[in-house]
Amino acid sequence: MKKGILTLAALLLATVAMAQNAKFPGNVTLKSLDGKSVESSVIENGGQPMIISFWATWCKPCNTELDAIKEVYEEWQQETGVKLVAISIDDARSASRVKPWVNGKDWPYEVYLDQNKDLARAMNVGADVPYTFIVNGKGEIVWQHKGYQPGNEEELIEAVKEALK
Amino acid sequence: MKKIYKALIFLAASAMAMTSCDTIDEDNYLIFSGAAGSWYDANGVADHSQRALLEKYTGVRCIICPDADVVISAAVDSYNGKLVAVSIHDSNVFTRPFGNDPDLRCADGNVMSHYFGVYDARQYPSAIVNRSVVNNNWDLFTPTSGVNERVDAIVNQEATVALDVDAERQSDGIDITVNMEMLQTVSDAMTVTLLIMEDGIVTIQSNHEGKDSNYVQNHVLRDVITDVWGADVDCNGQAGQKRMARFKYTEAQSAWDLDRCHIVAFISNKSSRQILNAAECEID
Amino acid sequence: MKHRQTLVLALLLIAGTSAATAQGLLGGQVTGNIQLDGQISRRDSVIGSEDVPQKLLSNARADILYTNGDFSAGLRYEGYLGPMLGFRPDYQGQGIANYFVSYKTQNFAITAGHFYEQFGNGMALRAYEDRYLGIDNALRGINVMYRPFRGIILKGVIGQQRYFWESRGLVRGADAEVSLNDLITPWSEAKTRITLGGSFVSKYEDNSEVILSDIPGFKLNLPRNVATTAFRMDLAHGGFGLQAEYAFKGKDPNDLNNYTYHKGEVLWLSASYSQKGFSANIQAKRVDNMGFRSVRTEAYKEMLYINYTPAISKQHTYAFLSMYPYATQSMGEMGLQADVMYKFKKETLLGGAYGTDLHINASLIKALDTTQIGGIGTDGYTSTFFGTGDTYYGDLSVEIAKKLSSKVKIAATYGYVVFNPIIEGHAGDLHHNHVLVGDLTWKMNKKNSLRFEAEWMGSDSKYDAAVDDKRCGDWIMGLLEYNFAGKWFVSVSDQYAYNDGVGNYYNLSVGYTQGATRLQVGYGKQREGIICIGGVCRNVPASNGLTFSLTTSF
Repeated sequence: MKKGILTLAALLLATVAMAQNAKFPGNVTLKSLDGKSVESSVIENGGQPMIISFWATWCKPCNTELDAIKEVYEEWQQETGVKLVAISIDDARSASRVKPWVNGKDWPYEVYLDQNKDLARAMNVGADVPYTFIVNGKGEIVWQHKGYQPGNEEELIEAVKEALK
Repeated sequence: MKKIYKALIFLAASAMAMTSCDTIDEDNYLIFSGAAGSWYDANGVADHSQRALLEKYTGVRCIICPDADVVISAAVDSYNGKLVAVSIHDSNVFTRPFGNDPDLRCADGNVMSHYFGVYDARQYPSAIVNRSVVNNNWDLFTPTSGVNERVDAIVNQEATVALDVDAERQSDGIDITVNMEMLQTVSDAMTVTLLIMEDGIVTIQSNHEGKDSNYVQNHVLRDVITDVWGADVDCNGQAGQKRMARFKYTEAQSAWDLDRCHIVAFISNKSSRQILNAAECEID
Repeated sequence: MKHRQTLVLALLLIAGTSAATAQGLLGGQVTGNIQLDGQISRRDSVIGSEDVPQKLLSNARADILYTNGDFSAGLRYEGYLGPMLGFRPDYQGQGIANYFVSYKTQNFAITAGHFYEQFGNGMALRAYEDRYLGIDNALRGINVMYRPFRGIILKGVIGQQRYFWESRGLVRGADAEVSLNDLITPWSEAKTRITLGGSFVSKYEDNSEVILSDIPGFKLNLPRNVATTAFRMDLAHGGFGLQAEYAFKGKDPNDLNNYTYHKGEVLWLSASYSQKGFSANIQAKRVDNMGFRSVRTEAYKEMLYINYTPAISKQHTYAFLSMYPYATQSMGEMGLQADVMYKFKKETLLGGAYGTDLHINASLIKALDTTQIGGIGTDGYTSTFFGTGDTYYGDLSVEIAKKLSSKVKIAATYGYVVFNPIIEGHAGDLHHNHVLVGDLTWKMNKKNSLRFEAEWMGSDSKYDAAVDDKRCGDWIMGLLEYNFAGKWFVSVSDQYAYNDGVGNYYNLSVGYTQGATRLQVGYGKQREGIICIGGVCRNVPASNGLTFSLTTSF
């Protein structure tokens, strides 16, 4: 046990020393909603910030979050030029429901499938969704947040504004 | 082009993967893993036929022997699998090969010839069906006639034991599988005897006209795979018993053509030597 | 010790890269995530939790990822100092469980070391992990991706599968995917989008092991190579979508199918239509003997799977609706699922001021119609393609969600579940359960909200001590959750069997989230039973005590 804690501490120390803005990975293969494989480099917003939100159809807080943002999305876009890209981690059990789900919910987001969590892994999302990132105009990850509580979207847009500075 | 080259490597790799699938036919799901010669409970035998075994003592220098061959091969054909014939070339004077002809003499056959009194009686051809006894004597006869009545007397009865034999060539010899099923209870101890015999051997053969230099010898006993008097059957003899054993034969001679060889198996009463049933198969 | 050596090596590597990074010699970035879970259990004969000799059980892991342009490398520390309940004891120990180096460009990628991969829907190959279920079948070997032309992706894998602290089996696979709209220039703007794919995956195993048949003196003739081939199609046309995948497997006698030689196959179809505010999806699946694993004798049910056949029922998240979860019967099943979502528009009779969401889902899964022809060492059984046998599982759920005001949202769900205990391996009558759920969220202000959930389950099942299924009976449940300051939450819940059942499962949880860091502490009784996450199920024994979980990313 002691050894485990020591190791963890060492890992933490070694990494805290180099905390810097990681880049959004562009070389991970995702699936578009029409079933085609695409590279994650297609996710971009012409130098404007992006919100990358990992979610799943079966995840209630994810749906609450994306529903809540939908109501203010137009406003956010006008104000900041931000674009939200929703990455579904639904696997084969529910992946084929993602496209009708997004249409049925009338979400205005760009959506990709990450069935085997390759992008989630590359971005250290861990096992839990929702998980939200802000990527600035230079493609750097400047903010991340795990989970969603009603009202968290206020922090999110503040962070987007921060990323514009 | 470099791209096409890379694509070709990919295709080659996929093709390699494609070949990586073994096919196993339904007949080959199981592999014998027991000890050779040991008996195991088995599934039984579907074919309950009673078959007869005709052992014929013969020789290449025996003038009447081809007459017996005509009768016996006609009988084998007419009994449609119910008659198994074996030609035994012992070591009497009639069996010495002509010139450079293959030697058809068989040491185990010679032991049997002496045992049944054929060698001493110097009666060729001589035959015995199922090693039957008449008036306390072996029922030896000259098989230019009297074959059918003896065979009928046997094959028209219900079998006491059903028998099946199967042989397969392996890299290390021939696997021979014997399956038996007791149809009636037999209280005496039993043995199983396995023979290997060869068809289509062309030799010179004496006949009434002199010599036939292109005579085709069939059912030639090459060897007794088990002991001459068989191997013990581990079975309590109760009706319904289903047993199997596998034997391995490693002494086939290079001069024999295994494609033309057959395996014969027969179950005998251990003490009386009388045959209860026989079976024959090709070597796969 | 081997683990210690790898650990030292890993630390050196990290120290080296961090030093180099700090000095700007190498450039690149180091990112990662850490998760630490623990539990302190008390014995409780009432709920039947095991007596745990250790005071503290814990699972820990840390992923470290180094990225520099197209090049990346990673390693993962895992430590199970007393694996938590529900994890196989074989995990006991610590060390570097996963490492890789990878080079990826737009058209070519190669990874050496541990990797995860999925071909199509995963019916031929899916190397994945689910850390909460203790599932990690990562392949250790080489993974290659190549795009020779626009619209074509080729993939190749070769490797061994992770098995606790070692790697087993040998898996080789290739996959090709063609996007017709990209490949055929005149179709590039066509409204109809078609993607086709095919996979071939083969496993190799030595066949010298002796597996005796039930015929004395005979062992099984085992194939060294067993392959699965799969074809798939994805067709989209505006709001319409059609997806299909068919996979078949060669003769593969193994522990799952009682060492029979029946071939395997799976057919999966999905059709959907959606437009703004409405969606419908129907899925059908037929699975026959498709458990494809790299070690034929493996007994642990979740280990060493090469492929993945997802369950065709909805993943429920309300406690009583998911009390009887369904896991694919890879030996054989036929299933059908329909899903409809409809949004009643604002300012209509049913829509009200904010609109109303209606979600209906139904599924029915039955056994195949099979005829037994033999046991071990035979073809096992025959099955008819369209025939079905006993009902394994069926459910219907109707959910209405409505926003009453800018602050209050309510959802009401009715659910009906039919469950055959045979899918968990014991005979018995079907369980028929009716479930009602009420769910209310009150957003008090920007930083504070309250959620209340009430559930009721009425069942025709009765608790029987001989079977000891603690889910039987009629239950009620209440849950109150308070989120405050945008960072904290506290929740209390209780499940109580008021009729024909046993148990009282209370739980108190507190959590704190700051950015990517989350700490959660809970105290209470954990229900025993199968818990399904991400489509796979595990048997969680009852536990009683304190649990905590810390996760962070950097």
